[in-house]
Amino acid sequence: MGELNVVGKNVERVDIRAKVTGRAVYAADMDMPGMLHGKIIRCLEYAHAKVKSLDFSEAEKMPGVVKCLGPDDVTSKTYNQSVIDLMASEQEAEWMGDIEEQNIFTKHVKFYGDGIGAIIAESEEQAERAAAKVKVEYEPLPVYLTPEQSSAPDAVQFVPEKPGNRAFQLPAEMFPNNCLGWGDVDEAFKEADLIVEDRFYTPKQKQCQMEPNNYIALYDDEGRLNCWASCQMPKLAHVKLARLFEMPMSRVKFNQTVVGGGFGARLGLVMEPEVCALALAVPGRPVKIQQPREEDWLSSPSRHPSDYWMKMGFKKDGTPVAIDAISKNFKGGYYLDGSALASTTGFWLQGMYKVENLRYRGESYFTNQPVCGAYRGYGNPQTNFVLEQIVERGCKELNIDPLEWRKKWHKTVGDNSWIGFTQYSSCALDECLEKGAEAIGWKDKRAKYENQTGVKRRGIGLSVGQHTSGAAPMILEHTTCTVRLNEDASAELLLACSDLGQGSHTTLRQIAAESLGFPIEDVHLNVGDSDANGFDIGAHASRTLYVGGNAVKQACEDAKRQLFERAAKKLEANVEDLDMNLDKEIFVKGSPSKSITAKDICEVGIYNFTNPMTGEANGEAGQIQSYVSYMPDHNSPPFFCTFVEVEVDMETGEVKLLELVSAHDIGRAIHPAICEGQMEGGAQQGLGMALTEEMYFDENGKVKNNSFTDYKMLGASDMPKMTNILVENPDPHGPFGAKSVGEAGLVTPVGAVANAIYQATGIQFTEGPITPEKILKAIKEKEVAA
Amino acid sequence: MNKLSVNLRVNGRGYDLEVASNKTLLEVLRDQLNLPDTKYGCGTGECGACTVLIDGEVVNSCLTLAAAADGREIRTAVGLEKNGQLHPVQQAFIEETAVQCGYCIPGMVVKSVGLLEKNPDPSEEEIRHWLEGNICRCTGYEKIVDAVKSASKKMASAEVKAVG
Ligand code: FES
Ligand code: FES
Repeated sequence: MGELNVVGKNVERVDIRAKVTGRAVYAADMDMPGMLHGKIIRCLEYAHAKVKSLDFSEAEKMPGVVKCLGPDDVTSKTYNQSVIDLMASEQEAEWMGDIEEQNIFTKHVKFYGDGIGAIIAESEEQAERAAAKVKVEYEPLPVYLTPEQSSAPDAVQFVPEKPGNRAFQLPAEMFPNNCLGWGDVDEAFKEADLIVEDRFYTPKQKQCQMEPNNYIALYDDEGRLNCWASCQMPKLAHVKLARLFEMPMSRVKFNQTVVGGGFGARLGLVMEPEVCALALAVPGRPVKIQQPREEDWLSSPSRHPSDYWMKMGFKKDGTPVAIDAISKNFKGGYYLDGSALASTTGFWLQGMYKVENLRYRGESYFTNQPVCGAYRGYGNPQTNFVLEQIVERGCKELNIDPLEWRKKWHKTVGDNSWIGFTQYSSCALDECLEKGAEAIGWKDKRAKYENQTGVKRRGIGLSVGQHTSGAAPMILEHTTCTVRLNEDASAELLLACSDLGQGSHTTLRQIAAESLGFPIEDVHLNVGDSDANGFDIGAHASRTLYVGGNAVKQACEDAKRQLFERAAKKLEANVEDLDMNLDKEIFVKGSPSKSITAKDICEVGIYNFTNPMTGEANGEAGQIQSYVSYMPDHNSPPFFCTFVEVEVDMETGEVKLLELVSAHDIGRAIHPAICEGQMEGGAQQGLGMALTEEMYFDENGKVKNNSFTDYKMLGASDMPKMTNILVENPDPHGPFGAKSVGEAGLVTPVGAVANAIYQATGIQFTEGPITPEKILKAIKEKEVAA
Repeated sequence: MNKLSVNLRVNGRGYDLEVASNKTLLEVLRDQLNLPDTKYGCGTGECGACTVLIDGEVVNSCLTLAAAADGREIRTAVGLEKNGQLHPVQQAFIEETAVQCGYCIPGMVVKSVGLLEKNPDPSEEEIRHWLEGNICRCTGYEKIVDAVKSASKKMASAEVKAVG
């Protein structure tokens, strides 16, 4: 690869001026003439109930009310708010058992906060006041908060298709005996010198993106349904809305507004169906829904909590002989991506270590909790919390250095990847481990912190992981990109790739500029408009840079090739002998005076005239355009590790985060500061999952902590000193060698901090989050036992 | 609801308005004055997205009644730019790539300006402590803290230049 001009540089983010000045326009900031306001009526009395009657008579009389809508006033068509079902073949979806069982407004309330109706009024305040006047009669049903409860033989069935309320188990058609893995686990355990086994609980963590969910929809005079929302997957939302409302896609327009964070919460649809249903009820008038923060915990998907059992066998020398695991996921009230999550949780397990025998069973059960869906890491943090603690205990009992063990046993180039049947194409985990260990002073600290006494005890822990770059070949991968060169040789790219804040519009623009050979200012991305943009899956599976980047690169390289072919004709030279400088002059290598500007070529292509005397055109006709419909045939997972140092107060149970070092094998950093930003932000969420973050419920299923005071996230002064190391080892398939970084940052802090606490206290915590209360309790129990 | 006549001075401009006595400053800024740069994140004083400066003090505008700001000097993110020049804090946020989704950023910027006006040379610990109450879910705070440090240096050297 030659010298790079834009890739690898910390260029100014394309969106950053608008964001620091407050001028970026989020959905809540939009106003439209004649706009009405919608308020969703949520069941806040019960977590499980039948709606016996819904009485709007008082509400209708309230000032400003335009319409009241219940379940029978909107389409009765059911849907699945997740989009995973769109990404699997019909056959696969059937095997996986994906269902569409959601209603826009429900008569069977399945969680605290389920939507049962809506008010449309002239102002937001009027809509809220009217909503308070709606009279609802419920028939309460028993509340199930765990898979054990909901799978009991006499439990009320959530949907007829899923007997026993088991939403999912790995299908036998694809996974013999409903298991993922290889070898003979039961036989192998007989050969083991040491078996480590435990049952874990991983918490219901909420994404807590800072922008609440806000929407506008308008059923316009042309008969088109328009929706404005900060959805992560605008194109798939477009398809889903068209199907739900039985309209051709050409009559639905999806506008993606600036996304104030996603992390999976906006992976599929959230309240797009509701706002569109409201708009269809009042043709010609835009309707806006602004969600109060306290409802965000109720109405958008969270991480799946899981009951996760694992057993691992080792030989005396540390050789891992077998891993057996069962993860039972709490689904919440609806199915969503019940199939995919329970599967990937096992994929991350099979992708990590060289173990001869492995068996994983993944299941999901309905529960009366707000829905669970995608959250950054998609099962990987759960597996990290469990697997990395099991490994740690094995190493401790066998007296093996956990760093050396991981170096020896992690999978690498040529090994079967998490996908099972494809191989890793690059892996620089050893370099990550060496650099990380050096940066935090692993060796000395690890030795120093063994067997401490006293009130304040320190510990250092480590965790490794691997993630994904896109969803191929498991499920659909596809991005289209159109590049047009304007008459002045500036470039316009049309694509539907999302930027949730992770910076992809900046990094994709860098890739475009580099591939075209143009200055970055001359490249514009036209995004967020379903009329103009082609197909793209949207932001999930850490795919945007890897898949979108390759789509952009191919389209731009093709546009540049066309430009060079036209130049070659003009200059009477071979394409291979041409080069272009940053002033966009194309010249013959070695004789720079033989040159033509890109602008001259582009302009003539558009303003193409025929000489009336000679009949000759003034150059090659036609605007230079390129279009690719890119479906990757590869996936290049990144590898990474995190080291964390903590200090535990044995009297209060408090954990102080002293230092965190992460090192990621990202292939190539297209924009180093953006890569670091993913790792830093990921650390805040991963440490939070391990230490403080969990949605919890009373016995009636009421969410008890849907506020930032009660749902504790780490603040600026809770964060440890951080060092984030980018290890660049270009991957043969990634754009300019890049692999993903988006989700990965969250994963390994989870296991690393648990292992640090283990070293400090000598106690392993199987239940997340590891709060001071749990630590104190465990310390007391240990003292009593001793 | 009772209506009150108030005079709000926002970003140097005066507004004579009628506001409902129960309206927060955040609601009035966003809905009545059409200044949506100040964000709603929780409405209960827990996230800092709505931070504004009132007479130089940082406040959560979601907890402040608009009527209580009568006659006082309010500054928000969109008003920090002077003569086409970004505020040094905004400039530093850009240079440090301290922004991701951006939703917390107007509040973060205003909060940081409030700090540096009181304490031009804060330690890292002081910065982190001051930013507690402003939640960012994207950045892990690392680059935001770096940006505040760098803004403090920028402002100090601008001061020296102005004096010298
Ligand atoms: S909106 Fe005011 S503190 Fe959150
Ligand atoms: S940049 Fe997204 S919340 Fe701070």
